[in-house]
Amino acid sequence: MNWSPENMQLLLPLCLGWLAVWSLLPREKPRGRILAGLTGVAAMLVLQATSLPPAGEIVRDAMFYVFAAVAVLCAGLMITDRNPLYAALWFALTTLAVCGLFLINSAPFLAAATIIVYAGAIVVTFLFVIMLAQQAGSADYDRQSCQPGIASLLSFVLLGILLFSLQEWGGINANTTDAARPGQFVSLPQGVQANILSQPPVSNPREIGSLRVLGRALFTDYLYSVELAGTVLLVATIGAIAIAPRRPQGHL
Amino acid sequence: MNATALESQLIIGAILFALGVIGFLTRRNLILIMLSAELMLHGVSVNLTAFGKYHGNPQGQVFTIFVLTIAACEAGLALSLILTLYQRRKSLDVFLWGNLSEDDLPILSGDSPRSAMQPMTDPNANFPHLTPAGRAPLSPPRKT
Repeated sequence: MNWSPENMQLLLPLCLGWLAVWSLLPREKPRGRILAGLTGVAAMLVLQATSLPPAGEIVRDAMFYVFAAVAVLCAGLMITDRNPLYAALWFALTTLAVCGLFLINSAPFLAAATIIVYAGAIVVTFLFVIMLAQQAGSADYDRQSCQPGIASLLSFVLLGILLFSLQEWGGINANTTDAARPGQFVSLPQGVQANILSQPPVSNPREIGSLRVLGRALFTDYLYSVELAGTVLLVATIGAIAIAPRRPQGHL
Repeated sequence: MNATALESQLIIGAILFALGVIGFLTRRNLILIMLSAELMLHGVSVNLTAFGKYHGNPQGQVFTIFVLTIAACEAGLALSLILTLYQRRKSLDVFLWGNLSEDDLPILSGDSPRSAMQPMTDPNANFPHLTPAGRAPLSPPRKT
């Protein structure tokens, strides 16, 4: 890895983001909310200015920016909120924004399924448990997190490694990437024989997420995987019923 | 959609994954730990669908469907486990279960002394004895 100025551009948003998340994590002392919000928004803006693509298809890019910003903001608020109820609701918002990203990726069925499974089932059941378990407001263990400094620092180091590797492979600086230097990471391998079972490439990009193409892929190429997934669901259901505590009604 | 859009989606996936890691490591509420794991799965799903869109095949979405399935299984099992743990200690604090760790590891008890190990609410609770596995412990098991 060469330490060029383009590489160094990633350090500023990473440090700003780490500062924002670290200062928002629950602790004893009062948290600097305004400072954290400013640094977080500044980090996202700097990252957008350095790495995200220039405006091409205006509407699609605008939708992508909106959904991505909402997803990242709500995820940050979810992991930093003191109240677990609000955290679960922020997670539901994150799920909705991620489903918007799925729609941009032409996966409408997947978006609907994710909304139903996550926002409709998982978040609601977790909310029920939180409301049953914590009727006396926010608890002590929600107001103070476990080693916020080192954990957030290490996670942002992980994020930095991921972004640096993306930059190394494909050049996430859209300004410096030209057609003469395509990224190895994002280009189709040349001269590699296609898998025998693989579907022919879909010509119409709108067709990728359609139920017909998806169902054909699921029940031809991935038939055994579908059967295995069904078995795993059955086993998990039986296990959950076996593990779940039995109490008279009205008690948790 | 061009390659730069793929890369920006990979960036979003990486950010979501890192935020999920932070939540998983720092939060002490059992339910929030599970929700942070789901957040990491969201980041992976964004990556998968972006690659599927880029390569023009449905494989990414098929993998995301499997991720969804496993997430549903994980949520159900985690919920029943969390309910069982809550019944034992009447709290969702993960630090109360620090004595399940290895013998030679320090018990995390938080930074404030008042959040240290609370006494069990039911002293007559009959805990199952796990079959010893791994190496023999250096010290006798901790009494909690």
